[in-house]
Amino acid sequence: MHKIRQFITSCGLLVGSLLLLSGCRSLGILNHQSQTIRISSLSTTESQILANILSELITHETQNKVTLINNLGSSTVTHESLIRGDADIAASRYAGTELTGTLKMKPTKDPEKAQKIVKKAFKDRYNQTWFPSYGFADTYAFMVTQATAQKYHLETVSDLGKVADQLTAGVDSVWVNHEGDGYPAFKKTYGYDFKKVAPMQIGLVYSALAAGKMDVVLGYSTDGRIKSYALKVLKDDRHFFPPYDASVVATDQILKEQPALAPLLHRLDGKIDLDTMQTLNFKVDNDLLEPAVVAKQFLQEHNYFRKGAAK
Amino acid sequence: MTNLNSWQQLAYYFQHNGSYVLRQFSQHFLISIYGVLLAALVGIPLGIFIAHRKKLSNVIIGVANVIQTVPSLAMLSIIMLGLGLGRRTVIATVFLYSLLPIIKNTYTAMVNVSDNIIDSGIGMGMTSWQLLRMVELPLSLAVIMAGIRNALVVAIGITAIGAFVGAGGLGDIIIRGTNATNGGALILAGALPTALMAIIADITLGFIQRHLEAPQARS
Repeated sequence: MHKIRQFITSCGLLVGSLLLLSGCRSLGILNHQSQTIRISSLSTTESQILANILSELITHETQNKVTLINNLGSSTVTHESLIRGDADIAASRYAGTELTGTLKMKPTKDPEKAQKIVKKAFKDRYNQTWFPSYGFADTYAFMVTQATAQKYHLETVSDLGKVADQLTAGVDSVWVNHEGDGYPAFKKTYGYDFKKVAPMQIGLVYSALAAGKMDVVLGYSTDGRIKSYALKVLKDDRHFFPPYDASVVATDQILKEQPALAPLLHRLDGKIDLDTMQTLNFKVDNDLLEPAVVAKQFLQEHNYFRKGAAK
Repeated sequence: MTNLNSWQQLAYYFQHNGSYVLRQFSQHFLISIYGVLLAALVGIPLGIFIAHRKKLSNVIIGVANVIQTVPSLAMLSIIMLGLGLGRRTVIATVFLYSLLPIIKNTYTAMVNVSDNIIDSGIGMGMTSWQLLRMVELPLSLAVIMAGIRNALVVAIGITAIGAFVGAGGLGDIIIRGTNATNGGALILAGALPTALMAIIADITLGFIQRHLEAPQARS
C-alpha cells in the first residue's frame, strides 16, 4: 500500500509539473482547431525565416497562437499540407514553381502574368488565397567560384556551354525532375549537358562549390551564402528559369475564421526586397542566428509594419 | 563566424538563441512525455491483463515486438499518411515504440510475483482486485517503472527525428545544422541538449525506480 501511495504521489508530481510546463506555454496539442494557426515552411533558410516572421507577426498582433510545421521537403509537400488541412498558411510559395509544378501549366517569363495566373488558379481550384509578393523573387541561378569564372571567362549560362563537358554540376535534387523548368528542359533550351550532375539538398550546394567538390552549382539567387563565399552568379541569358516571386498562401477557410488575418498578412506586401532577404538569410546561415531570432529582430526594427509607422 | 572554432561558435549560438533553444527543449520533452504517458495508460493495463491470460501474452507481445522492429523514420512516414504533418504524428510514433518496453516489463513483473505470496493472499480471502492492488502491483512497480524509463529514453531519440514531419523540437536545430554553411556548431547545439535530456530523464526515473524498490520497513 505504501508503495502504491508513493507511486501515485510521484505520478502526481510528474503530471503536476507537466501541467505547469504546458501552462507556461500551451502547446496547442489538445485544442488543435480552436485558436492555433498552423504555418508550414520548407527546409530552406529563407522559408523558415519567412514562416517565423509570419508567426511572430500573428502572435504579437493578435491573440492567436501559431504552430510551425517545419522542414518540409518540397513545395509539393507544402501544397499537400494545405490541401489536407495539416496547415493553414504556407509561408513561402514561389509563383514559378507552382505554375509548372502544382498547376502543370506552361511556364511564362512574365512575373506579373505568372502571379495573376497562380492567384486565380489557386482560388478556383483549391480555395486558397495567393497574397501579393513579399517584394523579392527567388530564382534558380547557376553559380561558380570567382576563380572558375576567370579561368573560363564565364558571364552567362550560355558561356558555360563551351566548357560544360568538363564540369560537374551540383543541383537541387528537386529541380532535376521539375516539369517545364527542370533539368530535361534546361538541356533542350541551352543545348548542352554537364559531365556529371549530382542532385543534392539545396542547402549543401554552396559549400560544395566553395570546397571545390563541384565546379558549378544551381542554387537560389537569394541565398546569403552567395555573399559569404563571394560566388559568381551567371546570367540566365535565355530566360530559362521562370520568375519565382515569393508569396504567402493561406486557405480561404482560415481567412474566414480569422477576419483579422488577411489585413495582417497584407502588411508584408512588397516589404522584403531582394537585398533584405539576402541579408536575413546571411544572418541565419553565417551568423548562427535562429530564424526565429532574426524574424523577431526584423519585425521590431520595422515596428511590425503598423500603419503610420515610419519604415 | 568562420574565425571561431566549433566550441566558441556553440557558446556564441547559445548566447544569442538561448530562449529559442529552451522553447524547443520544452517542446521536445513534452512530445516525448505525452507519447510515453499515453503508452503507459494503455500498456500497463494491457500488461496486467495478459499476465492473467497467458495465452494472449504471446500474441500481444509479438505484435509489440513487430512494431518495435519498424525503423523509426519509416514508422513516422507511415503514421504521417494517416495523421498528417505535425506533432500528433510524432506523439503517435512515440506511443507505439513505448508500448513494447512498458507491456513487456509489466507482464514480466506480474508473472514473476511469487505464487506463494499470491496463495497467501488468496488464503487471506482477498478478491482478485484486492490481490492486484495490495500484492501484485506493489511488487511489480519497480520493474514497470524500469520499462517506462526505458521507453522515455528511446522516445527522446525518436522525437528528434520527428523534426522531419514538422513537429519541431531540438531535431529542428540539428536539421538546420546539416543545411547551414558551417553547421557543426548548430548540430552540436541540437544534439547536446537532446543527449542531456535523455540522461536527465534516465537518472530521474532511475531514482524513482530505486525508491520503489527499496525495502520498506512498514510494509
